[in-house]
Amino acid sequence: MERGIYRALPVIRVFLFILGYSWMLMLPSPQLGRGIYIDENALQPGQVNTYWSWDDVHSADVYLGHLEQLRDQNASSVEKSSFVRSVFSELGIPAATQGYSFKTGTMTLDGINTYGVLSAPRTSGTEAIVIAASWISLTAGPNLRGIATVLSLAAYLKRYSLWAKDIIFIVGDGYMDGMQAWLGAYHGLDQSNLDAEPIKLHSGVIWTALAIDYPGHSFSHLGIFYEGLNGRLPNQDLMNSFHIISTHTGGVPVVVYDHVEEQMDSIISRWLPQLFSRQAYIKEYARRARNVIRHVRYQALGRASGVHGLFHRFRVDAITVFAVPATGPHGFHALGRVIESTLRTMNNLLERLHASFFFYVLTGPGTFLKIGQYLPSAVIVSVAMMFGGLRVWVDAGWVKQQWSSEKVNHGPAGKAPKWKTRRRNVIIPLVVMLATHVVGGITFFVVTNSWFLTRTDKTTYLPIIPLSLIVFSILSALLTSDQPTNSQHDEPSPAPLSSLLKAFNLCLASTVISITSVLNFSLAASLAILLGIPLSVSSPTIGLTSKMAKAMSYFMLLLPIWWTLLATPMSQSIWDWQVWGVWFAPFVCIVYLPLVLQATVVCMLDP
Amino acid sequence: MNITRCSRWLHFTLLVLLALLRNSNQTQGQEQHVKNFFQRADSPSGHTNNWAVLVCASRYWFNYRHMANALGMYRTVKRLGIPDSNIILMLADDAACNARNMFPGSVYANTGRQLDLYGDNIEVDYRGYEVTVENFLRVLTGRVPLTQPRSKRLLTDDRSNVFVYLTGHGGNEFLKFQDNEEISAFDIADAFEQMWQKKRYKELFFMVDTCQANTLYSKFYSPNILATGSSEIDENSYSHEADFDIGVAVIDSYTHYVLQYLEGINKTSKATMEDFFAMYDPVRIQSHPGVRSDLFQRPLSSVLVTDFFGGMADVDIVDSHLFHDLDDNIKLGSSPSPRLSNTNRDPSASRPVEGTGSRLLPAGRSHADVHQTRAWAGLGMVGLLAGFVLLQTKFRTASSGRDR
Repeated sequence: MERGIYRALPVIRVFLFILGYSWMLMLPSPQLGRGIYIDENALQPGQVNTYWSWDDVHSADVYLGHLEQLRDQNASSVEKSSFVRSVFSELGIPAATQGYSFKTGTMTLDGINTYGVLSAPRTSGTEAIVIAASWISLTAGPNLRGIATVLSLAAYLKRYSLWAKDIIFIVGDGYMDGMQAWLGAYHGLDQSNLDAEPIKLHSGVIWTALAIDYPGHSFSHLGIFYEGLNGRLPNQDLMNSFHIISTHTGGVPVVVYDHVEEQMDSIISRWLPQLFSRQAYIKEYARRARNVIRHVRYQALGRASGVHGLFHRFRVDAITVFAVPATGPHGFHALGRVIESTLRTMNNLLERLHASFFFYVLTGPGTFLKIGQYLPSAVIVSVAMMFGGLRVWVDAGWVKQQWSSEKVNHGPAGKAPKWKTRRRNVIIPLVVMLATHVVGGITFFVVTNSWFLTRTDKTTYLPIIPLSLIVFSILSALLTSDQPTNSQHDEPSPAPLSSLLKAFNLCLASTVISITSVLNFSLAASLAILLGIPLSVSSPTIGLTSKMAKAMSYFMLLLPIWWTLLATPMSQSIWDWQVWGVWFAPFVCIVYLPLVLQATVVCMLDP
Repeated sequence: MNITRCSRWLHFTLLVLLALLRNSNQTQGQEQHVKNFFQRADSPSGHTNNWAVLVCASRYWFNYRHMANALGMYRTVKRLGIPDSNIILMLADDAACNARNMFPGSVYANTGRQLDLYGDNIEVDYRGYEVTVENFLRVLTGRVPLTQPRSKRLLTDDRSNVFVYLTGHGGNEFLKFQDNEEISAFDIADAFEQMWQKKRYKELFFMVDTCQANTLYSKFYSPNILATGSSEIDENSYSHEADFDIGVAVIDSYTHYVLQYLEGINKTSKATMEDFFAMYDPVRIQSHPGVRSDLFQRPLSSVLVTDFFGGMADVDIVDSHLFHDLDDNIKLGSSPSPRLSNTNRDPSASRPVEGTGSRLLPAGRSHADVHQTRAWAGLGMVGLLAGFVLLQTKFRTASSGRDR
């Protein structure tokens, strides 16, 4: 039986690779996935009448007028925050400001947050709900209408006494930096590169949060942005409640991100022939694929897709409500009603959201994949790699030996070659692996160093590639020559370094993918796609030119690093690491880069 | 002389016998009268007081409808005559004063909020965390601590009709209390058996509105229990409607239809439990309510709805000459209400009147007095006669002794 498996192993591996990759391709298909549903009984979404009226819309318009004035005057942070604070004070809501300053390697970001706390009228405010809007929208324009909504909501919500939790209104400066400073100070989390004033007005434990992003004049859809830092997702109940309320109470259709379906349909009809583009299945697949790809982009890079993403670290469920800019038909009125009803629902909560899913892939506004429907795809690929590594390890321990002439007398059966075990010197491959990790560590240190970051022209560092190729070839030559040649006849020479290194490389890569898949599925899937086959087919070569060629092809795998870490002057991922603590940059340098380097070394060695 | 003595003795014994006979006639008639008093011609239930135990076993805002269920039943039972002193109301949470309530201090049971059940005259006996399985069983069985106030005790006796209503979240043979404990059908059955053995009820009506409610009465084994539940095993009980300003469901379907039916019942209603159960419509209620009457001895067609839901006791007019005693009692300022005297002025009808649980005494008291004086008079006369005869014989023997 073992022999059968051993012989069939290459076929099994190919089958597993095909299965894993095709499963990943099938993730956006309409057959997979199920409809969303509300799991927490206490929520009762969409069961309330809303009383947000045109008077409240008028007050929002008035606030908007003031905010536009501030924008036209190019007001400073001080003027903007004092205006917001005065609005809260006029309403009778206790308000305060918080100044902060981020000092990263290359630049300094400072601003002033303003926040007000509406205490729960009839109960002690042990819990809190946050309504936030930042001055800059995710479209990089000003988020004036978002802030106007927050201010008029404050005026409106103050009239009711049915809030069982404190409501905190936050107008954060900048895009996400203001909220980072506020949250860190509120929860007592210090950050070395952040200098923030302490929070003067404390409230209860924050359970849920909504961030409002309304850049345009009107909107046609409300988009949900939900990814958090390091690929963490909020509890699905919050998004599902919002979806139901927006659809039924507000009358505003909900989309994922800003992916409006009509846009997608036009894209498909341009790129695919008529025969395909009109098929409903293809259309649905394309829509879902678009959502999944954008989700993977956010989650694999560990980036938060909005201000809400900073809340998840503190076990707060938060989403950003994005009003997709359009020429109509909705405005302050619809948004206010939807937010009011969502707040009533969030108000009903008696414990933190825990019932619904934390691990899911939202393929559409109303459909999602449960963990069992997407996780095995990456794990299957990692299993195939593990099988490959184990196979190479086993092969490294046996060598076929032709018997000496004495045994030839035994006849044809005796001529069958015998297998003999040989030693596997493990120290050297482990040292090589350690060296690659050290190289990765040094790279990370260099890349995040302020001296390096202040160098705006990164192209001066391109020569590193041919330099490192030369270094690698020298190293590999040294390593190959270091292998002890065995003079003894009976004692087989120890296993070649390339086999052992490849075995360890594959096993390590497989382990990394499996473990990452439960933390951050998109990152694991990306690793599986990038590393799966290249690492499995790495093999030692003879001849310098072919070695160089192979090494170059493996260096192609490092292109993503180039894009994410070195391409722009202040790379987004480095910024993420320094300001929000996203571990994508260190992961890439300390885990991904060494894995690729190990495969490169395998290729550079002699067989 | 002998003949006269004999005839005197005869006369004496006759008198004595007549006196005794008259007395016994009186007691027999008294007993019959009492029996007639306790058994009305139309519905011979024989109970003299009504009690109700209404329990809402679940807390939290989204279980608003369970509290509304219990409060709706409380209001109905009070309207039909059971006073607060005879009702044990257990509410596991305070929905009226919940911070999320848009109408603080009120609990409503219908969309549109027409009737405030919390009102201004309710008495909640067990509230909040006091509503536990232990307290519920103690109330039923009477095993309460000595310090327990009277309003929290179930002071029933062997002529009490008890109505027990449970609502909350439940399942197969259990009911959930407060989200952290359960009472099983066996516990309730044993509690009722204890009540039976301690003569704490005459007849008991058990109603339950939860999911799989009918399983909760499947384990009863004590006599005179009539039980009904809102849904079968493996069946959910559903809420009826939600109010869109309160934001949650406000009443359960089964209880809603029961209360709606009871709105058509007043204190004088002759509707029977058979009519009540015939009202059950599984399509409207969205579940299959069940009835268990095998332990109940009387036929359902002769059991009035008000036997359990109402709190009436009969006032029977016995003798007109007793009015005077009664009026004297009223003038002395004792308890009976003015309505009682009004009824007495109309001797033709024996109309049922509101009454307390205690027995009615005024008419009986003077009757007993008359009996007593007559008995003593009879005895006195016998004694006199006996004394007279003895003296006579003493003189006779003395004189006869001297004559000879």
